[in-house]
Amino acid sequence: MTASMTATIRERVARIETMPAIPAVFVPLMKMLGSSTIEVNVDEVVRLVSYDNTIAAQCLKVANSPLFGLAQVPRSIKAAVISLGLRRVETILLTCCLGQAFPAEKWTLDPDVFWRHSLGCALVCRKFSEKLAGVDAEKAYMAGLLHDLGFMVNCLVFPKEFAAAMERACREEIPLHEAEETAMGFTHCETGQALAEKWKLADDIIEVIARHHAVEQSHKAQSLVAVVHLSDLLCRMRGLGYGYYERRRVDFSSDPAWLVLLQEHRDLEGVDLARFTFELDESVEEVHALVSSVFGPARPRTEATAAR
Amino acid sequence: MTIAARPAVVALAPIKNEPIHPVYRQIRDLVYKVSGIYKAEEKLYLLSDGCGRRMKQLGARTPREYWDQLTAQPGHDGELRHLLNEITIGETCLFRSQPQLDALRKVILPEIVAERTKQITKRLRIWSAGCSTGEEPYTLAMNMLEESDCLLKGWTVEILATDLNDRSVETAKAGIYGDYALRSTTDYFKHKYFTTVDEKKLQVRPEVKKLITFSRLNLQDDSKMLFMRGMDLILCCNVLIYFDGASKSKVVNHFFTDLNFGGYFFLGTSESLMKLNDQFHLVHFPGTIAYWKPSLSSGKL
Repeated sequence: MTASMTATIRERVARIETMPAIPAVFVPLMKMLGSSTIEVNVDEVVRLVSYDNTIAAQCLKVANSPLFGLAQVPRSIKAAVISLGLRRVETILLTCCLGQAFPAEKWTLDPDVFWRHSLGCALVCRKFSEKLAGVDAEKAYMAGLLHDLGFMVNCLVFPKEFAAAMERACREEIPLHEAEETAMGFTHCETGQALAEKWKLADDIIEVIARHHAVEQSHKAQSLVAVVHLSDLLCRMRGLGYGYYERRRVDFSSDPAWLVLLQEHRDLEGVDLARFTFELDESVEEVHALVSSVFGPARPRTEATAAR
Repeated sequence: MTIAARPAVVALAPIKNEPIHPVYRQIRDLVYKVSGIYKAEEKLYLLSDGCGRRMKQLGARTPREYWDQLTAQPGHDGELRHLLNEITIGETCLFRSQPQLDALRKVILPEIVAERTKQITKRLRIWSAGCSTGEEPYTLAMNMLEESDCLLKGWTVEILATDLNDRSVETAKAGIYGDYALRSTTDYFKHKYFTTVDEKKLQVRPEVKKLITFSRLNLQDDSKMLFMRGMDLILCCNVLIYFDGASKSKVVNHFFTDLNFGGYFFLGTSESLMKLNDQFHLVHFPGTIAYWKPSLSSGKL
């Protein structure tokens, strides 16, 4: 990609004042996510979650999903925060905020498909990290959730070009980033990076957004980038992709990301990838259910009130 | 930015199905360990149903009691085999795994065709090992015929279908199927490749049968297994579960040898090889996994 193209992307992304429907808690949340856990207290998180009834109700729905593995149904926000732990709640809150952040009429992609992929990838990243010593599982969840942020930017800023790329990907059954490269000359990695920098997201998350299709070019947080790359690929192979058939064979153990990860995490050798794949299949239905309840069409504000 | 808290106490109904007895998860892990078959959470009911039928036969009153019979009692190996029979029975039908067929037609065939452009004899060999009553080889044959005017134009396709059971092989040769076996077959395929026997049954047309050679074969018969060379694709779905560890490993090694370089080995949809053979590469296609014998040019042998 040329320097002038990068400048154009940055300029056009800079003009997005804010995501039009972004919930008010989003900015303080991002700030909180950037700080260390010690500085955050339970009351602060409860306050953030409770600020908006819709978000609060959604957070409880997410916490309630079998995907988050709580033995008991939390009856209040505080109970949920205490049982789930602060870091988990932060990521749930981020999930809900992003779900509200994007105006319905601007989607070029099917939003359900987008969220299924993002949430699926987040969950796989978390599960995958739990098998590797020294990878922060909640950080990996967040990275998985945000890795394709650039598709949202494409819908907002480059709708026509992106629609053409999407059409090409479906028609030729090729990976979406390859179709973007051919049709647009750049990909969601660059546009996502521009928005992530504008939002001042953490450096390692920016690196994931920018390099998850080119792990070998990643110099910072390479393990995290590799985890997201592999999880993204696995989701696309198991019904949580972009809603079309990708005509390809994936050999994970020969993927550069796998080899990168193997250098730092010998425990990767012990991962039974077939079983891991079957386990992911178990979560697919839950991901669908969660996406339709949390990311479905905007619900009237009264719903949360009525549920009290 | 300061935010005034607006308390939200929202009680929601639990989104949970009927809880499954935790012992069934232990049984699921045991089944995976000995057979490589994984029953996903949403299919655990199939496992618990199968266990239920076995428990009734054995007079076991609780899942825990059955677990003891599966693991601690004398003769538990035999019981495990009975359970495997229970949980794999009746799974067969034509067009059982669309993702496998898609992988075959959209990825594997183009790859094989591209690799052999320079060869004079264009021959594709597929082996359905443990073909039972023929649903799998007929499905493969129909899909290959669909490609005969395009991708496989000028190619000879040979499908070898074997099973240990003589009666299954005879049924397979007849190629007559009812609604249950045809539940996943589209009208397009029914019209094109079947004739009507009576109002409830359809028979596979001769041009489909022509592609297939049926025979009885014991996968543990080493001398016969040595003659199965030159395969491009081997499918062996829900068969290896009937073998113990050592025989399973031997059979898989035979499959590896029998495949051409660059060939593929498919198991059942939720079945895996685990650590049975480290020469095969586990590969993913959309919705399905397979095992690949690396091609000579791949540098991965």
